[in-house]
Amino acid sequence: MATTTSATTISSVAHFRAGFTATLPLWIGVAPFGAIYAVSALAAHLDPWQTLAMSLFVFAGASQFTAAGLFAVGATPVTIIITTLVVNARHLLMAASMAPYLRKAPVWMQGLIAFQLTDETYAVGMRRFLAGEGSPAYQLGANASLYVVWQLSTIAGILLGTRIPDPVTYGLDLVFPLTFIGLLVPLLKTRVSALVALLAAGIALAGALFLPGKWYILLTGIVASGIGALLARRIINNERRAVQ
Amino acid sequence: MTIWLTMLGMAIVTYLTRAGGLVLLRGEPPAWLGRWLGFVPIAVFTALVVPALLVRSGASGQELTIGPGLASGIVGAVVAWRNGGVVATIIAGLLTFWVLRWLG
Repeated sequence: MATTTSATTISSVAHFRAGFTATLPLWIGVAPFGAIYAVSALAAHLDPWQTLAMSLFVFAGASQFTAAGLFAVGATPVTIIITTLVVNARHLLMAASMAPYLRKAPVWMQGLIAFQLTDETYAVGMRRFLAGEGSPAYQLGANASLYVVWQLSTIAGILLGTRIPDPVTYGLDLVFPLTFIGLLVPLLKTRVSALVALLAAGIALAGALFLPGKWYILLTGIVASGIGALLARRIINNERRAVQ
Repeated sequence: MTIWLTMLGMAIVTYLTRAGGLVLLRGEPPAWLGRWLGFVPIAVFTALVVPALLVRSGASGQELTIGPGLASGIVGAVVAWRNGGVVATIIAGLLTFWVLRWLG
């Protein structure tokens, strides 16, 4: 019994480390933005502790940037909180699609995974789950990795202030879509999944151009996958017929 | 004090979105929902890629922009397709961007 427990622990630790390491390439992309978030929060007259506290307790890049902007123009607390909810609504769908893989994990672990779930680590962990090699510990490691770099870069931003160069000039904002490409493309080797991606590309593009904020992610996530699920049955049935 | 309370509210609603998805799907989902959720990652990953490469905020709001970002993404996609992995994809994409910027 004791052996089983320690074997499980060792493999969990190994998974955690694997998840942590797999997320390291994203640090290049995240670090400059964490620092810039801090600069923009300080510019909005948050004090250094408040700036760091937002990274520690909210831990959501896009909404932290948005909130800094709203604090700067003196928006009301209600506006800021509702905007945060809207910007983060997409995580509801991401967490829902990950839920089946986390069901067996202890509640504290699920709670912690939820607390640190971001677009980036959702992609890293989910890719692994889809390959049948994922685990809650791996997801926790990926999340922790991004959490660490986000805090460190927030602190760096507070200390360095406006001396930070613009990451967009160096194309570092591209690290995010490039990572998602690296995770997405290997998934596109069946006809249905390629079709879903094509559909998603169209919806996301139109949504990003014509809808406010980040609604396009939630919209695409619901619509393209829904159509994909409908198509999957048909195409699979047709192919089965063609083979016979 | 207002700032702290606002941030508390932000933390709560953010956590609700993330934990909400897990709580809502605690049981075994019905087959149709399982199939649907199965395609969510591909749809979401694509949504995280395409606008990031093609849409920039300009003077009149969000604008379609064909530029180094798209080229970088295409090169990255080729590397990823040939099983290059995430790190190689990032390096190839960034190199493409830097070369194009240096040329342009």
